[in-house]
Formats: sequence, C-alpha cells, structure tokens
Amino acid sequence: MKETQAYIERIRRVNREYQRLDLAVDDSLANIQAGQALLVRRIEKDYEAEVWDPYLRELWFPVEAQARSILVVEQRARQPFLPGQLLSIIGPVGSPIRLRQKLRNILLIAHDSSPAALLFMLSPLLARDVSITLVLMGAARQYEASHLPEALELIRAEDNLGWNDMVMTLGWADQIFVLGTPGEELASFAKILRLVRSRRTVLPPRFIYGMLQRQLPCGLGACHACMVNTRQGHKLQCVDGPAFDLTTLRLE
Amino acid sequence: MAIEITRPGKYSLAVGTPVLPAAGTLGFGDRYKRLLDLSKLGALITNPVTLVPWNPASGARVVPLDAGFLLHTGLPNPGLKKVIRQYQNTWSRLSIPVILHLVGTSAPDMLRACARLDEVEAIAAVELGLSDDCTVADALAIIDAARSLEKPLLVRLPFFECMQLALPAADAGADALVLTAAPRGTVRDTASGRLTSGRVYGPLVKPMILRLVGRLRRQIPADVPIIGCGGIHSPQDARDYIEAGAVAVQVDAATWAQPKMLERIGRDLGGWIATRQRNALLDEWHPDMGTTEALQRRMPSEDQAESN
Repeated sequence: MKETQAYIERIRRVNREYQRLDLAVDDSLANIQAGQALLVRRIEKDYEAEVWDPYLRELWFPVEAQARSILVVEQRARQPFLPGQLLSIIGPVGSPIRLRQKLRNILLIAHDSSPAALLFMLSPLLARDVSITLVLMGAARQYEASHLPEALELIRAEDNLGWNDMVMTLGWADQIFVLGTPGEELASFAKILRLVRSRRTVLPPRFIYGMLQRQLPCGLGACHACMVNTRQGHKLQCVDGPAFDLTTLRLE
Repeated sequence: MAIEITRPGKYSLAVGTPVLPAAGTLGFGDRYKRLLDLSKLGALITNPVTLVPWNPASGARVVPLDAGFLLHTGLPNPGLKKVIRQYQNTWSRLSIPVILHLVGTSAPDMLRACARLDEVEAIAAVELGLSDDCTVADALAIIDAARSLEKPLLVRLPFFECMQLALPAADAGADALVLTAAPRGTVRDTASGRLTSGRVYGPLVKPMILRLVGRLRRQIPADVPIIGCGGIHSPQDARDYIEAGAVAVQVDAATWAQPKMLERIGRDLGGWIATRQRNALLDEWHPDMGTTEALQRRMPSEDQAESN
C-alpha cells in the first residue's frame, strides 16, 4: 500500500455509455489482482492548489492490466477526463479475491451496478479456459456490453427474480461473485442469496461471494467506515474485502 | 522544543509538534505507517475506544457532500481490554506519545476504564470524548470519574454543547479542552433515498470551530490549554487556530483525502512555532524550503545587521 502518482495516458470511448482510461501507474501497482482497487484523487501539478470538491477519493476497480505499468479503468462516458490528467493513487486497496483452484465455470452477477469491478478477472480466467457467465440484473440490464470479450456468455435477466437457464447456470457454477446496488449492497446480496438457495440447497464455503463497492474515506482500515459483520467477527471492506463469503456475511 | 498541550502540574504532556491526528483518523497507529512519517506529529490519538465492544452502525455510513462528507460509523471497536492487548506493543515502539481516545459513556464505566489505563505505560494521556447529548451534570460526573486517572486528561467537547460544557469541564479538572468533535448533521443519502445522520467533515467546519476557539479562549482559565480541531486542510488553517488561541491542533478527514497533508501541516506548524518563539520572521521557514534557500534568505538580514 503506497500513495503514488499516475496520469491518464489514453482515453478510449468503448461504446455510447462508457470510456476506458489507460493509467500510467507506479511499479508498485504492477501486481494488482482481481478484487483490489485504487483510491483515486485528481490533482493539479501545483501541489498547493488543493481542491476539496469532490472531497473523498474515488474507488476505481481496474478492468485490465495492459503492460507492466498500464492499468485500464472503466468510467461513464459523460465524466470529463483529459489525457495527461495527474492522479494521486492510494493502492492497492483490499485483498485479492480467492478463486477456486479447479475452477471451470464461474458465474458473475451484477445487480443494479456496473459490472466493472468484476471485469479484471476476465482475461486471466479466459486464458485458463474457464467458462464465464455474466448476468446483468435490475438497472445493470442497461449496461452496454459490446466491448466485452466474445467468449463471455452474457445474460440480461428478465426481472429481479431470475433469468432464462437460471437453473442450469446456478447448477453448473463452481463459484459465484455478486455485485449489489451501490450503497444498498447487503439488501442486494440477501436477495441474490435467496435466489441461489432456492436452486441449490447446499452452498459450500467459498462458493458465493458478494463484492462491496462502498465509498471509502481512508481505504487503509483506519476509519472503520466500511466495517461489516461476519460470523468470524468484524471485517473491513478495505482490508479483508471487498469480496466476502455470503454464507458468512451477516446480511440483516 | 517541547510544547505543553495540557495544564502544567503533576500530570502534564509536552509534544514536539503541535499537530496531532484527531481521534478516529489514523486507527490505532499501525495503518498509516507506509504513508506518513508519524514522527513529524506531536502524538498519536487513537480511534475511539469503549469499555465494552461496540458494533458498527447499520445502513449508510458515508454520504458525500459539496466539499465534504457525512460519516456515521457507530464507533465500532473491540473494547478497551482487547485494544490494549492488541496494540500496546505497537504503541511502545512509536517515537511519539500515544493518547487513547476514550468514549465517555458513564461514570462507572470511566472508573473501570481508568483503573485499566493506569496500568498501561504505552499510553501517555487519555482524551475523553463527551457525547452530543451529554448534559452538564453527566459531563461533570464522567470527568470526575475520569479524574481518577494518573495521566493527563484531555476532554473533547461536542460541537453544539461546547459553550455550556467548556467552563464546567475546565473547572472539573480537564487538563486540556479539545474543541470540538465534528458537528453532527443530517442529509438525504441519494443512494438509499433516506435521511441519514452523522458527523460532518470538510473545510466549511473550520470557520465555525475557529470562532468557538476564539470565544472560549477568553472565557476559560488561561492555564487550561485549548486544542483546535475541525476543518483543517492546510498549514494556514492550522496557523489560524494557533492565532485564535489554540496551543495545538488536531487534523481529521483531510488526512484521508490527502495523507501527506497531515505530515505537511506538522512540519509547517512545528517550524512556524519554533520561528515565532525566536522572534524570527514569520515567513522565514516553509516546509519545502531546502537548506540552500534557507541560508540565502538569512543572508540579507545578516548583512543588514552587520551594516547597522
């Protein structure tokens, strides 16, 4: 964990809704892994010119690592960025997600949320010939996915209650990762967990994970704003997360 | 150069730099090691601790505001016994004093907590945080109980009640007053659509607390130091508090947004106060000044002195 500077090297519009930013980052971020994030603050060249709006650092999940020192992030196209923009980055924040060794089929679910936080694992998993299914539920059904790898199976849920072939995809999945409504993630996780339990009576440990994307004031485990209750005690999104086993997370 | 931040007497606390992190900002001293040079600060103030464990708040915790944010954590902590067991070795290794922030819940709790705290050498002082709904009678009972402590006792006052509580707290034996805890506010959380309450952080807090510091400095006895806390985001903000009568400052949320700012304010204020006490020019030192520039600046005045 370090505070480093980066700059936006390139901006690419990938579809009507989203743009991708290539960030030239410090070597300390070269080994960032799926699940880990960056706490980003736009800065001016003159260090004295501090602007406090927006105040908190933004939580950015990389979607791709292109070269040793280039990380790609996905942002809404309407957000104004310029090449050369300097960034102050604290990271990597959080712990890498724990993928099963013998993973063959993985199910990713984005409920009312952009799936960006799940995309970093796509390339390495596809290289391992893992079958990936991405389900977009709720508001996430509007997500434009034309830029995602063709090998990815994309399903847009019909409503909040399910999707075609749900029994099949839930039955085949070796592991599931869920993104919930930002700010209301626990409610989303509870809803998805009920859905999964209705199709699979036994949920083994480390099978279904929920990934938190709460705004983090410090990102280092100091402020305790991101603390959650689990059956193993209190855990922090910024240190122990962002992915938590949904069978151990207290969702009430 | 030591700066006394508590009342002179048997239990007094002196720090090298009058800049401290506010309670809740740096955790228990182990989190910011790689981002900050803690030795540039006067002391470490820990996250709030209660006698028994407290759970995190449910619902929204962070709501962004224009140039600030609202935070409600519920002060989760594993309880005094576990905190001491877990962190006292970390505190012993720090080069700066450790001030434990104790949440003032009730007088009996304070008595039990203070008995335990007296045994911990790594803790140099205690900062007592009074709750927002604390009456004068409650405050006096809690401070009276906490006065059993054989260490310096700083009392952090709630924002809205600080005018009523400051003088009684000083009379009851507070060794220093910390003005103030971040003010409480209520905003609508756009994510959930619900009204959410919590503490408000940001630069706009500073003018309000700065005024309180100025007013209370004139009202409370001169031997009770005031530590200013709230909305400090630059070295100049910290200097303003010193000018208003504070002996030291605590920096809160700015540290999360820009960790180096805390260290920068520490370096600046440490240098500024040293310079002022030697009757030197106020602008003689700044934190980014190298040795060469410092020497070049000094030369004209030396030449002038020689010519006189």
